[in-house]
Amino acid sequence: MSNETDTFAPVGDKTYGRFGRLYHGLTTVDFVGRRKIWFTVSIVIIVLGIGSLAVRGFNLGIQFKGGSSWEVLAPHTTIAKMTTAVDKAGLTNPGVEKLGSETYQVTADLNTLSAAKQLTITNDVVNAMAKVAGKNVTQVSTSSVGPTWGGQITNKALEALIVFFIAVVAYISIRFEPKMAVAAFVAMVHDLLVTVGVYSIFGFQITPDTVIAILTILGYSLYDTVVVFDRVRDNTQGVLKGGDITYSEMVNLSMNQTLARSINTSLVAILPVLAVLLIGADLLGATTLQNYGLALFVGLMSGAYSSIFIASPLLAWMKEREPRYRELAARVLVRMDRRVLTASSAAVQGAQTSATNLRPARSGGASGTIQARARKQKRR
Amino acid sequence: MPPQVGSRRSLIVSLVLTVAIAFGSLAATLSLGWGPKLGLDLAGGLSVVYKPTTHATTADLQEVVTILTNRVDGLGVSGATVNLQGKDVVVSVPGVKNARAVLKVVGDTAQLLFRPVLCEAAVGAKLTAATTLPACAPQYQDTAANLNVNTSTGNPVNIAPDPAFTNLASTPPLKDIKKDTVLLPLLGQPGVRYVLGPSQMTGHSIKKALAQQDQAGAWVVNYTLTSSGSPLWDQVAQRNFHQLLAIELDGVVQSAPLIQPNQASFTSFAGQGQISGSFTQQSAQTLALAMNFGALPVRLQALSTVTVSPTLGHSALVAGLGAGLAGLALVLLYTILYYRALGLVIVLGLAVTASLLWAIISALGHTAFAPSFDLAGVTGLIVSIGITVDSYIVYFERLKDEARAGRSVRSSVDRGFRSAWRTVLAADTVSLLAAVLLYIIAVGDVKGFAFFLGLSTLMDVLITWYFTRPLVILLGRRGSSSTSKLSMAAGLHAGAQSE
Repeated sequence: MSNETDTFAPVGDKTYGRFGRLYHGLTTVDFVGRRKIWFTVSIVIIVLGIGSLAVRGFNLGIQFKGGSSWEVLAPHTTIAKMTTAVDKAGLTNPGVEKLGSETYQVTADLNTLSAAKQLTITNDVVNAMAKVAGKNVTQVSTSSVGPTWGGQITNKALEALIVFFIAVVAYISIRFEPKMAVAAFVAMVHDLLVTVGVYSIFGFQITPDTVIAILTILGYSLYDTVVVFDRVRDNTQGVLKGGDITYSEMVNLSMNQTLARSINTSLVAILPVLAVLLIGADLLGATTLQNYGLALFVGLMSGAYSSIFIASPLLAWMKEREPRYRELAARVLVRMDRRVLTASSAAVQGAQTSATNLRPARSGGASGTIQARARKQKRR
Repeated sequence: MPPQVGSRRSLIVSLVLTVAIAFGSLAATLSLGWGPKLGLDLAGGLSVVYKPTTHATTADLQEVVTILTNRVDGLGVSGATVNLQGKDVVVSVPGVKNARAVLKVVGDTAQLLFRPVLCEAAVGAKLTAATTLPACAPQYQDTAANLNVNTSTGNPVNIAPDPAFTNLASTPPLKDIKKDTVLLPLLGQPGVRYVLGPSQMTGHSIKKALAQQDQAGAWVVNYTLTSSGSPLWDQVAQRNFHQLLAIELDGVVQSAPLIQPNQASFTSFAGQGQISGSFTQQSAQTLALAMNFGALPVRLQALSTVTVSPTLGHSALVAGLGAGLAGLALVLLYTILYYRALGLVIVLGLAVTASLLWAIISALGHTAFAPSFDLAGVTGLIVSIGITVDSYIVYFERLKDEARAGRSVRSSVDRGFRSAWRTVLAADTVSLLAAVLLYIIAVGDVKGFAFFLGLSTLMDVLITWYFTRPLVILLGRRGSSSTSKLSMAAGLHAGAQSE
């Protein structure tokens, strides 16, 4: 343990490049101080999404609005040929889409017709599509959904969502603290709004699979936030006793320390989803996978963003409004030789004080009092 | 050494046991030829969600499940399930080649009713809906007196259709209520309709019906009645002696036979009977099938019907597995590039996790519980790759912190594990919470997804404690006593030396 003497660690930028600093947890991004930027970015995306939702609404799949769909693998045909064939079979104005490289999907709403008529048309369309595809009729997949089914799925999903929210807020309040629960909750709602907005803006079809995917995203976003908060809680446990670092600075420090982890985890989560989206859906044309992949991709990006740029700055902002942390901030100011701690200098300080070596740092290279506080920080 | 981290001996035992159990169980399931029970969207097949149109008690729904299970089992396909989800009855028949043919049989959610024929009706050119049906005029009524059956030929007097009904529309399915008088078409004869009285018996009373040929080679339907159905049938038959009794299935009269036309007076059927007439083989079999279906206690409406062709299912399976493997490869490549030697720990850890998961899923596929492994489940597993690898990342990042703080590798691995373990537990609790809630509340595919997500999260907790902990700590201790470059990650050393 020779490194416990009071020597300054080399300041990041002299020894490491950008990646090296990230790798060694020495980045100096000011997450808390620039919260206005992060919040604005999110609000713009969310407002755009809500605007689009108000104007265009959702592109709901047949599972929600009711209707029928047929699918067949047909390597040697065209959309035009398929459309002509199903028109002849009795569909008026059907939707014909090519999914992936060789799967054709036809959609139409037959719910206004009588049961017998629906059956006849369904069979006629199956025969027509099989003929165009040059396949046996058993190769055509069908799906027909009554008008009330989707509502039922949505209700169940909403029910699950509300219970999930309550359980999560309760769990984090107990395991961590109520303010963290609020911040994590806001981050989740953020991801929900962003995903839903992106779906509306790009007109992606919403299916029950999308709903599943969104539930996953919320779970994942929360998982990510909890990992970051765990470090924040760890680091801030003794912060009130000291007088040399504010809550916000500590959050910043924690964020920078866990940044490598956050980026790695997000990449590791997004890589398989990207594989699902590109290989599973696009190349091989599995529609269900496409539905999952899209929602997961958008949501995971948003989830990674929100746990870094929304949840933690929000937490710091809320905590700084508590009188004891305001006092702490004031004390720190005094201790820092009346020097106003700008947001960026706080971040620099954070970087220099690595996890277990907390020292008040020079801000911007000017000399300050160097106090040895090696390994005072409590770790359980 | 804090007790929770464990002695060298116990670490080795834990590590060896975990690896042995994982690969052992995988080898066992593979050698038994067990595989996961593939869901509908991967194996192809049929799935229908039915909802009762009127209020149904739990007992009613249980009965529906029993009847539908019998029907599906009668088709001779394996792996078919019928279960209740809330008030919905979900029928799924995976792996069946000709899903549409199966749908015809299962989907006929028939209520078989026995109604007396009041009079016949023709079909006019322009039909209007009737709120209430008029009574049949006396001269057109199919009473025993009017029909005046000739017992030697077995033929009744031909009674013309009542013109009062010609321009009335048939009773729509939703108004086809047991205790009402209805106007329904006859199967296979477009111009013929019957005005029928309230139902006097349901398919409950029929035990079994069979299409057979009699001595003369004509097709007939022979049927037997249940023990409670037999006296009821006798009662109904006596009431309608020498009259027509319609067998109605889902708003269509399947047949309207005349009761005992060759007998002068009513005699007990003694629990079995025969319907004869101008049957073809097909029409006899259709009637027998309809009678066998039995009456469901409630009318069902198909909310959602899905058939997946085995080819599309297979291509989805290939796509899902391909995507999963590609994703896994990308993740492994990234972790090895980033963590070097420690990345190999992740590779080994994922191999152990994957073996265990596959063994468990395969073994579950052979139990009654058997969650079906569908695309939603595959996605759950793919997502869990991220959560599994994250546990390693959390630990390794802690290791780097500790090393940076100047600790020896030996003490870093212990301290790092303890703080990482808390983080992993907290985060996995949240994932597990989500999975359990989804599993309890949600319907359909979501259940399978939640199950596999929950399973792999649980696996992550176990593997982190019983595999990652001993392996990394043992490597770390070895690293502190030797100077081998391979002993601990290059990155970790770099982190420690730079300070």
